[in-house]
Amino acid sequence: MADPLTARLKQLIVETLRLEGIKPEEIPDGEPLVGGGLSLDSIDALELVVRLEKEFGIKIASSEEARSALASVSALAAYIRERGDPSRLPT
Amino acid sequence: MADSAAPVKVAECGCITALGDAGATHAALLRGECALRPVPVLGRDGGQAVPLALLPGRLLDEAAPPDWLEAVRRLHAAIPGADWGSPGRPVFVTGSNFGVGGLYALRRTGDASFAVWGAPAACTERLRALLGWGPDVSVISHACVSAHLGLLLATRAVEAGLAEEALVFSFDFLSPFVAGGFHALKILNSGFPSPYRLCDSGAIGLGDGAAFAVLSRERGAWALAGQSVYNEMHQFTSNRGDGSGFDRCLEGVAAAARGRRIWFKGHGTGTLDAGQLEVSAAGRAFPGAPVVGWKGSLGHTLGSCGLVELAIAIESVRAGRTPGTIGGAGPTMAASVATESFENGAFDGVVCASNAFGGAHAAFLLCHA
Repeated sequence: MADPLTARLKQLIVETLRLEGIKPEEIPDGEPLVGGGLSLDSIDALELVVRLEKEFGIKIASSEEARSALASVSALAAYIRERGDPSRLPT
Repeated sequence: MADSAAPVKVAECGCITALGDAGATHAALLRGECALRPVPVLGRDGGQAVPLALLPGRLLDEAAPPDWLEAVRRLHAAIPGADWGSPGRPVFVTGSNFGVGGLYALRRTGDASFAVWGAPAACTERLRALLGWGPDVSVISHACVSAHLGLLLATRAVEAGLAEEALVFSFDFLSPFVAGGFHALKILNSGFPSPYRLCDSGAIGLGDGAAFAVLSRERGAWALAGQSVYNEMHQFTSNRGDGSGFDRCLEGVAAAARGRRIWFKGHGTGTLDAGQLEVSAAGRAFPGAPVVGWKGSLGHTLGSCGLVELAIAIESVRAGRTPGTIGGAGPTMAASVATESFENGAFDGVVCASNAFGGAHAAFLLCHA
């Protein structure tokens, strides 16, 4: 069974960036989000970060931290588990 | 694209920054002063404190009419000559902000008086009336290479005989809208910029700035001996990782600089990737040239930075001393980065470079006429 946070992140990515023809479950856990198969660019990353900050109560401090957090869905999930508001994590 | 045969001279040049006019700014940079101060990113609405260099007494918040008009008027009063905007004396207005903060204020407050300065054309038209310019006024806005493009187009107008003299006038004043945009990108954050330093995390500062240059075929102590612009069309907010965009642009002025001893005034905002790419490219194009960047003190004056920093470069040559790179401590990205001021009498050229969102690059070679 899929990890609820990972599944929610994939859903957010597709919704926020309006990715056409891509189902959330098709996004690999370990693939780079920016510059990878999804062809996301830095403006996509900006939109995603704004949404993630609102949804999970995180605060990403710098572009380097954003890049590290968005390295992959797995990395993003780990980042949010470590720094997000626990009450906002899906169960 | 490059134009290295232009004999056009810089007859007059000046600027204002948070540290004062070109002379005062140059002197303060030599003393290593930092104009950046922590300011809430959304002004009176608060938010994270970020490094901004505002003109003395100016608030980040928008006003209608804009509170920067007096500074523009003062700068304009320092420009010798008259009849700007008349036939043969065109004005090229450049910048990246104009009054865009007013549009955000309009959205928040519903006060229509904020709107009239919001768009570049409307803002320029109001300035034209305020400053007494004639109708021959062009508006050029291309992010942070705006002023370079204005210089290039003005050079061409003079070269082609379409202008006896041309005025390039650039201004960028900060607002919550502009600061908030860079803050959303995470490159404007609580950290102070450390241009060309090896750091774990990059940060920029932003600054108010305005400047002018009068270009002439006949008079002036300084020459723009080569100008170059290039757009790598790679990605909106990042450059090709191999630095080829920087290389292509600098190649455009390297030919004009051949045989000269050069110092290099870089863009140097404080972002890590672009800083490393720029300083490496400068080393390839101008081996041995010391590299300096001043945005660690003045902040990034955005579309006007090319003209603001031209005025400071001229002041540096005139005074015989170049301010070093300000901001941060510790090792630099290359040995060529000058962190201390240096005597420049043995040099006979300055390459000034700027880079912009959208993959745009620009550079010019400044030397004695």
